[in-house]
Amino acid sequence: MNFFKRAWLNLTAKKGRSILLILVTSAIMLFVLAGLLIRNAADTATSNAKKSVGATVTLSANREAAFKKMRSSTSTKKSSKPKLTTSPVKLSDAKKIAKLSNVSSYSATVSTSANAKGFDAISTSSSSSTGGGMGMKGGMSSSSSSGDIAISGVTSTASTSAFEEKSSKITKGRGITTSDEGTNNVVIESELAKEDSLSVGDTIKLKATTGSKKTYTMKIVGIYKASSSTSTQQGPGATDPSNSVYTSYTFANTVKGSKYKNTADSVTSNVSDPAKVSSVKTAGKKLINTSKYSLSTNDSSYQTVKASMDNVKSFADKIVWLVAIAGTIILALIVILMIRERRYEIGVLLSLGEARWKIVAQFFVEMVMVLIVSIVIAGAGGKFVGNKLGQQLVSQQTTTATTSSTSTQTQGGQPGGSGGAPSGNSKPSGNMGGGGAPDDSSSSSTSSTKQAELDVSVTVLDLVELGGFGLAIMFLSIMLASGGILRLQPKKVLID
Amino acid sequence: MLKTNDLGYWYDRQENSLFEHVDLEFKSGTSYAIVGQSGSGKTTFLSLLAGLDKPRAGQIELNGQPINKIGLTNYRKSHVAIVFQSYNLFNYMSPLNNLLTAMAVTESSHKGDKAFAADMLRKLGLTDEQMKKNVQKLSGGQQQRVAIARTMCCDAKLVVADEPTGNLDEENTKFMIDQFQKIAHEQNKCVIIVTHESDVAKACDHSYRLAKHEFALES
Repeated sequence: MNFFKRAWLNLTAKKGRSILLILVTSAIMLFVLAGLLIRNAADTATSNAKKSVGATVTLSANREAAFKKMRSSTSTKKSSKPKLTTSPVKLSDAKKIAKLSNVSSYSATVSTSANAKGFDAISTSSSSSTGGGMGMKGGMSSSSSSGDIAISGVTSTASTSAFEEKSSKITKGRGITTSDEGTNNVVIESELAKEDSLSVGDTIKLKATTGSKKTYTMKIVGIYKASSSTSTQQGPGATDPSNSVYTSYTFANTVKGSKYKNTADSVTSNVSDPAKVSSVKTAGKKLINTSKYSLSTNDSSYQTVKASMDNVKSFADKIVWLVAIAGTIILALIVILMIRERRYEIGVLLSLGEARWKIVAQFFVEMVMVLIVSIVIAGAGGKFVGNKLGQQLVSQQTTTATTSSTSTQTQGGQPGGSGGAPSGNSKPSGNMGGGGAPDDSSSSSTSSTKQAELDVSVTVLDLVELGGFGLAIMFLSIMLASGGILRLQPKKVLID
Repeated sequence: MLKTNDLGYWYDRQENSLFEHVDLEFKSGTSYAIVGQSGSGKTTFLSLLAGLDKPRAGQIELNGQPINKIGLTNYRKSHVAIVFQSYNLFNYMSPLNNLLTAMAVTESSHKGDKAFAADMLRKLGLTDEQMKKNVQKLSGGQQQRVAIARTMCCDAKLVVADEPTGNLDEENTKFMIDQFQKIAHEQNKCVIIVTHESDVAKACDHSYRLAKHEFALES
C-alpha cells in the first residue's frame, strides 16, 4: 500500500499542480452534479405532480350514443323535429365509482337557470333574455327556456376548477360545502351583489323557468369574485357571467324538477395517482351502463407537468453524459501530460522493481484524492448552479408547454364554452349545452397553467452518485492514459 | 554470484553488435569497474546486469538461476540496487522519504524503519535538517549520497552503478569510492561500476575494459 503514501506525498509536495487539478476536476464535477440534481429534481417534481395535480374521471351522459339514437329516430319519424335525449347521472352510479381504489373524492355538478325575482340580474348589450345555449341551438334544446340567473349546483365550490385555479375567489362569507346539501344557500358574484346591494345573510328569490316554475327563497352565504378573464369569456347570446350563482347540487336538481332528484349532470371523481387514471376508467366502465353514460378522463395537468419534466430530465441526462465524456477526455489528457512529466519517477519506480499496476494505482489514488476535494467543492456550488440552470430549463419548458396547450384550446372554439348563456335545461341535457355554469366542470381548460417547480437540493445520495460518476471518470481517464506507463522502458528513461 | 553466459547485445543487426560471447563472473564482497570508450556498450552491459533490458544472446545467471526465470521485475526488486549518474531520486520527496519508499517497494527487511534510514543518511554525511528537506534542495554530491544510501537500505546483494561520480567533484568522488568499497567489503555485496574515470577504476578490486566488442580484465 506504499502507493497511497506516494500519492499523498506527491499531491502535497506539488501544491500548484494539485490545486489546478482540483479546479479542473471541480468544474467537471460541478456540471455533472448540476445535471444529476436537475434530473433528480425533475423526478421528484414528476412524482409530486402525481400527488398535487391529480387527475379526474368524469361520469356524464353519453352524448355520442344519444346523438346516434336521435338520428335513428329522425330517420324513422321524418315529420317530427330531432330531439336529443340524454340521461342524467345517477348519484348511486357515481358512488360506485367513488369506491374504486385510487379514487379519493368526487363532486357532482348540476347546471340550470332561473329568473331573478325581486332583484335585478345584470344585463349586457350582447345578452338577451331569450338567449338559449349555443350548443343547444337548432332545436336540440327543444322545450328548454332559460332564466337570467345561471345556477351551478355543486358538491362544494372549493372542488370546482374555477376556485381550484383561483380564477374565482370567495371574498365574503363562505363557499358551498357538502353541509349545504338540502339547503337553499347560495353564493353570488360580487358584481351582482354590488348592483343589488346584497350582502352575506340577505335573501334573494329565484323563480324556476321549468317544472313547477316555483319561486325559491335563497340565503346568501358567500360572495365570490370572478377574475376579469372569466367574466370576459362571454359568447354571443350569453347572460353576463356575474349572474352565475353557486348552490348545492341538490337545490339545482330541485329547480330542474322532481325527476332529477339524486342525479347530476356530471360527477367528477378525483384520482389520487394520475398514472392509475386509465385503470380507474376501465374499472368504472364495468360499473355503469355505457350506452347511457360515458366516462371521460382528464389528466392533462399531470401530463403537462410530466411532459415538461421529461424534457428537463432528458436535457439533464444529456448534460450529465456530455460532461462525463468531456471530463473523461480532459482528465485523460491531463493524466497523459502528467505521466510524460513524471516519466523519470516512473522509471525509478520500475528500476526498484515496482509493479506497473501499482504505479497506475498510485496515479489513480492521486486522482481519487483530488476527486474527494472536488466533490466537496462541487457539493457546495452544485445547488446554486443546479438551481439557476434548472429554473431556466423549467421556465423554458413551461412556456413551451403553455403555448402549445393554449393553441390547442383556441382551436377548439368557444361555442358552448364557459361563461356562455345558461342552457336552462328543461331536458336532462346536463352541462353540455350553453354552459351557463361558471367554469364548473371544465377543469381541462386550465390545466396547462399549472407549473412544476424544481426543488434542487444536494443530498448525501446525490454526492454518492456524483462520487460514482467521478470514480468512473477517473478510472477511464487513468486507463486511457496508463498505456504510457505500461509501455515505458526504464532503461530508455534512466540510461539512454 | 552473477555470471554471464555467452552474452550478446546489438540494436538493429547482429553484425553491428556491441558485444558478443561475453562470459564473465562477478563475486560477492568484490567491487568491479567496467571501463571503455564512450559508445562502447558498457552502460548497455550494465543495464543487462541490472535487469533493465534483455540480452539478444546468451543469459545472465544469479546464483546459478537465469534472471529471466526469476523475472526482471522481481530480480530488480529483490536482487539488484542501481545508482545512476543523474541520481534519479523521487524529486517530490525528502531524502528520508526516498529511502523509506525504496525500502517499501523492494520489501527490504528494514521496511518502515525510519530510524534505520535516518542512521544510514547520517553515516553518509547528511544532517537531520537536510534529510527532511526536498531532495531538489540538496547539492549534487548530497543527492548522490542519498542514492548510495538507498542502495544500502535495500537487501539487494548486487549493486550496479552507472557513472556514479560523473557529476561530482574530486572530494565527493573520493567519498563515493570509499562508500562503494564499504558496500562491497563490509556488507559483502557485489558492486559493479561503469566508469570512465581511472581513479574509480583503480579503486575497485577488479577492472574490465570493453573494447572492440570484447571484455578484457585489466587488473
